[in-house]
Amino acid sequence: MSDKQFEVVDHTADWAVRVYGRSLSQLLLHAAAAMNSLMVADLHALSQDEERHFTLEAYDAESLLVEWLGELAYWAEMEQLVFPHCQLQHVTDTTLTATVRGGRASELQKHIKAVTYHNLAIASTEVGLEVTIVFDV
Amino acid sequence: MKRSDFKRITPYIHEIPQSHRYDMRVPARFYADGELLAMALDDKSLEQLVNMTTLPGIVKYALAMPDIHQGYGFPIGGVIATELPDGVISPGGVGYDINCGVRLLASHLEYEAVKPHLDRLASALQANCPSGVGRGGEVRLNRRELDRLLVEGGRWALQNGYATEMDLECTEENGRLAGADPAKVSDRAKKRGMDQIGTLGAGNHFIEVDVVDEIFDEQAAQRMGLFPGQIVAQIHCGSRGFGHQVCTDYVKRFQTVIHKYSIHLPDRELVCAPLSSPEGQDYLAAMKAAANYAFVNRQVLTFLIRRSFEEALRGKVHRTTVYQVYDIAHNMAKIETHEVDGRAIDLCVHRKGATRAFGPGSPVLPDVYRDIGQPVLVPGSMGTASWVLVGTEGSMAQSFGSTCHGAGRTMSRSQAKRTIRGSDLREELEAGGIHVRAGSMAGLAEEAPTAYKDVDRVIEVVHNAGIAKKVARIVPAAVVKG
Repeated sequence: MSDKQFEVVDHTADWAVRVYGRSLSQLLLHAAAAMNSLMVADLHALSQDEERHFTLEAYDAESLLVEWLGELAYWAEMEQLVFPHCQLQHVTDTTLTATVRGGRASELQKHIKAVTYHNLAIASTEVGLEVTIVFDV
Repeated sequence: MKRSDFKRITPYIHEIPQSHRYDMRVPARFYADGELLAMALDDKSLEQLVNMTTLPGIVKYALAMPDIHQGYGFPIGGVIATELPDGVISPGGVGYDINCGVRLLASHLEYEAVKPHLDRLASALQANCPSGVGRGGEVRLNRRELDRLLVEGGRWALQNGYATEMDLECTEENGRLAGADPAKVSDRAKKRGMDQIGTLGAGNHFIEVDVVDEIFDEQAAQRMGLFPGQIVAQIHCGSRGFGHQVCTDYVKRFQTVIHKYSIHLPDRELVCAPLSSPEGQDYLAAMKAAANYAFVNRQVLTFLIRRSFEEALRGKVHRTTVYQVYDIAHNMAKIETHEVDGRAIDLCVHRKGATRAFGPGSPVLPDVYRDIGQPVLVPGSMGTASWVLVGTEGSMAQSFGSTCHGAGRTMSRSQAKRTIRGSDLREELEAGGIHVRAGSMAGLAEEAPTAYKDVDRVIEVVHNAGIAKKVARIVPAAVVKG
């Protein structure tokens, strides 16, 4: 694995990204970065005056990934809030606690309707973890 | 998937036999001509078609329409029917945009009379009909009122002055699925849905002003009030964040439910529950609430389109009123009775990117359309033709009363964005006499006509296969995109 965090994968109807991480924690952070980059062209232009804390629980690591991205997509849809600065305080395969910081985007270039489970499987590689996520857009 | 995996049943039906993969419960059939079959081999849509055949309780075959393309779980353009009571219902088999659909409105005006005012009409539509991410509508609801809307569907719109009796009569299910239960819907779904009634959203959703280009079935066209040169309007949208969240909630819940019922599936997006189970019934009741939300959403947009016609054309043309031709759903699971191998059985028909197409004589059709068959509305890609069809006896016999829903994508969104500039496309469409209003140029590029199949070709297949009949072809004059 190079230092690549994620890459866009061609998908006929929707958007797919392949995400890499050395640990589940890093995979979750890189997945958030991938989704943020779909929604906002210039993440550096966002203010950092909004902060949210949340704890999520799920059935397994893949479900946790969907919950995590779903939470971020929810704030984007409801309040145009995008959080490029994410800290995960506690991560297991089924729970996470997060503090996220960011700001209101003037315009979202992509509406993430949902994060799907389509062929969702976190795979172990020689150097870490890899997963392909399909977003309904 | 290879071409040799298919057995040709007719020139327009190609079958993947049950022996193709060990976990198939039934064969799969694909409606296509040779070229559309070759195109579908390019992405993962036909593997997704095979995956559909593994759902417990499936009868006859899984079907794919000629506008098939890769989705998640089911392909877009997929149809299956599962037998009650123990066949399954799959939230992913309906999709996130529950009751995404199309409505056709017709004016009493000819193109030449409206042509000088089209720009003004496009601007009025854009100003009155909120579109894009995060834009709320003018309908403000509290929790109690939202729950009423979810149960009542189109009747809520009628009681609140957004609909006429005729609108409801010419809407699939009269704009209301009975049995919707707001208690089966999460708080988060309700929060997302609270201010999105009467909004278009983003992606491939649009409002379009069209002109009737050609009539193929005089009798059916007359019944719908359609004539050559007539100005009509289409709405394409669904249940917005409300429906997306309902699907998200139940796909999550069913991740564990499948173990309870010992269901084994090739893709986690296909998770499902028996219709006889409490979990299956809960999803059905929540899905119906989302379906009713979508019917109201398109109805309020209809109200706003009527306002736009009035504002833009008052004093300039002889009549600004528009009436509803029909409204169809193309992402839905419905409990229907169909004849299978000579016996009438109750089925749950999943149509994901497919349209109900009931033939003549169906008792659920309004009186005005009962003898011609159900109107089917098939929008093409932006800037190209759309079609009005009717359901047939063939669709009842072959495809559980179903047919295609659109042109079908052939190019990925990322490729479209890489190769097409939104501003160039806009100029091209405008040069062709189509007035364009779009929230984002990047979004416009993703929906470029070259990213889609040829809708006329798709229609030839369903017409020749006998699962719908051509009535009218319409072409765009103004497009408002989310």
